[in-house]
Amino acid sequence: MVVLMRKCLLLFFSVCALAAAADDSKTAKPDKTISITAERFAFTPGRIKLKQGMLVEFVITSDDTDHGFRIPKAGIDAAIPQQGKGELRIRFVAREKGQYPFECSRPCGAGHNVMRGLIVVE
Amino acid sequence: MVNGIRIATVKWVLILLSAGFACAQTDAERERRLIELERKVRQLDPSYVTPASQNFDERLSALEQRIDQLLAARTNPPPQEAALQATTALPLQAVSISGDYQASSEAETRLPIAGYMDFHVNKDRGEPARPDFHRFVLLFGHSFSDRLKFWSEFELEHSLIEGGEETGEIALEQAYIDYLIKPWLNFRGGMVLTPVGIVNERHEPPSFNGVERPFVETTIVPSTWRELGFGLTGDLGRGFRYRSYLLSSLDASRFNAENGIAEGRTAGFDASFRNPAVAGRLEWAGVRRATLGLSLYTGKTGFNLASVNPRVTLASIDARYSYARVDFRALFANTWISQARELNEVLERQTGFVQNVAKQMRGYYFEPAFHVLPRRFRNDVILFARYEKYNTQHRMPEGYVPLTQFNRSSWVTGVTFKPNADVAFKFDYVFNRNASTFVRNPDSLNLGLGWWF
Repeated sequence: MVVLMRKCLLLFFSVCALAAAADDSKTAKPDKTISITAERFAFTPGRIKLKQGMLVEFVITSDDTDHGFRIPKAGIDAAIPQQGKGELRIRFVAREKGQYPFECSRPCGAGHNVMRGLIVVE
Repeated sequence: MVNGIRIATVKWVLILLSAGFACAQTDAERERRLIELERKVRQLDPSYVTPASQNFDERLSALEQRIDQLLAARTNPPPQEAALQATTALPLQAVSISGDYQASSEAETRLPIAGYMDFHVNKDRGEPARPDFHRFVLLFGHSFSDRLKFWSEFELEHSLIEGGEETGEIALEQAYIDYLIKPWLNFRGGMVLTPVGIVNERHEPPSFNGVERPFVETTIVPSTWRELGFGLTGDLGRGFRYRSYLLSSLDASRFNAENGIAEGRTAGFDASFRNPAVAGRLEWAGVRRATLGLSLYTGKTGFNLASVNPRVTLASIDARYSYARVDFRALFANTWISQARELNEVLERQTGFVQNVAKQMRGYYFEPAFHVLPRRFRNDVILFARYEKYNTQHRMPEGYVPLTQFNRSSWVTGVTFKPNADVAFKFDYVFNRNASTFVRNPDSLNLGLGWWF
């Protein structure tokens, strides 16, 4: 019984520690916060350089209509509210070096297909 | 995640306690602890109801069953959370997505198509008001893959098409495929917008002030100007972007004195690729809310004419900038037409009229605009004034005299009210002038309602 209790407690504290770690990255101060403006048909800045391992937060606002923000290599696809309706905040960890495109995922006009940008992790 | 851990913890505690109860505790103690567990489960699931039976084992198995259900529900987390959990193996590991649209009732319903509409009432001085549902446009796109994408724009103008009568028009404004290779190198082919000026590629009604598009960007730079073609687009970094196409030719047989080259657009119908035109645009948007653009178009235009093949060259420079609550935009464009004298002679023989096509046309405008309401307001009220100077008879070929009524200028003054960033109520008054002492260019009053979705 005592052994079982110990195992349970060990499991309990391990899971709690994992949960706390996950929550930390959600609430911890990011290593870098970058403001991005979306406007037909470009993101500004369009190229973003990061260091490997950084916890990064993008704060994205629109200067006109609704846009989308999709980073295929992060599995992220979220809506950017139109001008005057707030912002989108995305946090991620740049785990691996490389170049990762991001793009608008909400049809916004003639240049929608090439409304893209690039994240460069060094 | 935390809720799942809580549930698992409760279950473990339940098992441990029930095992303990069986061997060491009094009935009263077991009952107290069971009640406490039931209370905790109700906290996790307010819909949980204690069984009517007073039997200890039945109540215990009901608790176990509910906890199993809660755990099973947690196995399928909400889509966004599931998406975040799935990113742990990706090179960019998503941690959180939050913002004013996430789980907000303000988020719009997303249709699989986009579009814009433009309803106008125009009244020239001395004339009755003319209501006109000017544009009803639907846009369709499709991603075949992350690299291969389609985009199109289908337009009905003036709300009615009827055979054999002068009515509206239905037109394909864009339909092209993008093949995305590198950020700096992408291929585009199909029916494309000629990349000249500000409005031709950005003509959604809420994106410009004034009921009608700027005069300079309808006469000197045609709008909406689209041609069949293909070319390259890309982002060169440091805020530089480009588009360069080979396009079907303008048709010089339709050039005239009033609208310059604008009527020469083939819009993809009966187009010619015998002497494809070259069009390119370089944009710099390296500073937030500032864009500078340089555009160049050049091509032979005589495919419908027997003995003359004039070259049209159009160059323009434009700028847009926003600072605090003030916007500014400006454009300058100049068009050169070679063999203009020969072109006029051929057109006169063909039509019986002197078309008086100039060898140079020029136009420019500048527009300051002021957002009256502070940024924190949901609505937007924009006061603007635009000065335009546009002359389709700027330089005439030898032997031809400029028609001064086409040396025009306008002050467009008005207000744009946006209850939503995608909906614009527009009002403007246009003071029109020209250099002629005989032909008047009447002022006009315009109301407009335009929206994008």
